[in-house]
Amino acid sequence: MSALLTCRSVRARQGDTEVLRGVDLELRRGEVAVLIGPNGAGKSTLLAVAAGLLPTSAGAVERGGRVAAAMQKPALARRTALANVELAISWWEGRRRGGRDDRRERAMSALAAVNASQLAGRPAGSLSGGEARRVHLARVLAVEPDILLLDEPFAGLDPSTRADLLYDTASAIRSERRATLVVVHDRAEAWALADRVLVMTRGRIDAQGSPRQVFEHPPTEEVAEFVGFTGTLDEGDSVLRLRPSDVELDPAGPISAEVLRRVPLEDGVRLDLSTPKGRLVTVAPEPAPEVGTVTRLRVTGGVRFPSERAPAPDDSASALLSGADGSRTGTPASRQEAGR
Amino acid sequence: MTFIWQGVREAFSMLLHPTPDLLSILRVTLELVLWATVLAMLIGLPIGLVLGLGRFRTRRVWLGLANGGLGLPPVVVGLFVALLLFQSGPFGGLHLIYTVRGMVIAQTILALPIVIALTATSVQAIDPALLQQAGALGASRWRLGGFALREARIGVFVAAMAAMGASLSEVGAVVLVGGNLEGETRTMAGAILTSLSGGYYAEGIALGILLLGLTFLLAAALTVVQHGSRSTPTSSVRYLSTARR
Repeated sequence: MSALLTCRSVRARQGDTEVLRGVDLELRRGEVAVLIGPNGAGKSTLLAVAAGLLPTSAGAVERGGRVAAAMQKPALARRTALANVELAISWWEGRRRGGRDDRRERAMSALAAVNASQLAGRPAGSLSGGEARRVHLARVLAVEPDILLLDEPFAGLDPSTRADLLYDTASAIRSERRATLVVVHDRAEAWALADRVLVMTRGRIDAQGSPRQVFEHPPTEEVAEFVGFTGTLDEGDSVLRLRPSDVELDPAGPISAEVLRRVPLEDGVRLDLSTPKGRLVTVAPEPAPEVGTVTRLRVTGGVRFPSERAPAPDDSASALLSGADGSRTGTPASRQEAGR
Repeated sequence: MTFIWQGVREAFSMLLHPTPDLLSILRVTLELVLWATVLAMLIGLPIGLVLGLGRFRTRRVWLGLANGGLGLPPVVVGLFVALLLFQSGPFGGLHLIYTVRGMVIAQTILALPIVIALTATSVQAIDPALLQQAGALGASRWRLGGFALREARIGVFVAAMAAMGASLSEVGAVVLVGGNLEGETRTMAGAILTSLSGGYYAEGIALGILLLGLTFLLAAALTVVQHGSRSTPTSSVRYLSTARR
């Protein structure tokens, strides 16, 4: 598969702040790549640079086709949903635009692709947040770009609307002729959409691979924390990062822990625990121990990283995977599989 | 109080039996309003658009100048334009002093800051995300400008109304540049001034009532045009209803 979008060592600034600090990225025809990362990591800036809306301060962006981007805010013009999609097509085609009938057919097809045909005649001002997002998405699908960029297409929606739109989007954006990059905040959204997940922190892409690869085997502690490995056990020459599901309360377990905080959840209680080697989080069924109680637990998974205090790791511990574009993305030193 | 009723009666009488003088005043007034408004819109809309959308260094200075221009004293503008157009002035050879065209120039200068400032303000009020989205979908600068004007159409409409209102009611500049010559450059506002200074209060009131009527008539016409464009079903809705049939 050929690369339609290539970023080489791209740097970019927003005002006085350098937001992108050497991003390498390849986007191939037919794939859907999902970019996730904490707030302020530079995801939207990377999208704006890829779309040509923001200049780079260094590096190069090569585009093998035309780019259409759906920005984060679904801002629609004061006209009907259908007219908004038609307007997008006329912007896209400029002087080469085809006939009005053709534009309408394409606009209606795009609205149908995101299950929004019934909104066609509605004025933009009367659309709900979820409906506006559907029209916003239809707008970029209608222009049939070679490279499609979506910036947080599900932001600000209630869970049920978001889920509906997520499933519709997952099928609507797939095309063998197109390369797609979607910025999302949520791991569930990445699972639903991505062929490849890219994790961005502090202006760089720190990890990339299939959703399973990235979420199960994060290459750095920072990425691990972002993808849910929030617990830490310091074991001298290594650090074990653990998800809540990797920690089980067990009266016969080898680790002693004090309950620091309880937060009731739909399916149990989230417990923040303090151990002599670090803090952990778990979700336990009711009745769960109270704050201040000392309990025992075992860990059943997690990813291990060399400690910063430890001597330089050997080759096996620092094995690095080459990302699809040749950039360095690491794997954890080892994956803890057995119970401890 | 009697001269007020006299004025009202005279206004109706003038309307029912218009004299050649009144028709000339009406013609000059409408000609001045039309040309000054059209010229101010033609020159002011692109400038307002650039100031509203542009991101260049001196933008604020120009916006400040446009806003400051809203308070331009008409008499001072009239004085400068008259000095430029006098036979002995730099543009004397154009023979525009004491002509309707000269008055149009003065009135356009007065209406221009109104159009520029109101257009820039209404364009600036457009959601920046909408303009950014247009750019992200490949809209050219020309298309973006046209789209911004359309989105800001209420502000543009207000700008046209304000320019027109200023041209209708202005006295100082047009009298200085046009000379208030009977049958040639006398406007409604100039005629009111002449009537009052001659002690013909009833005639002045009658002309005032006519000027008010004209102002409301033109405003109503523009409002009808504006509402007409909003209430007409868009082509897409017509398409949908056709498709459903």
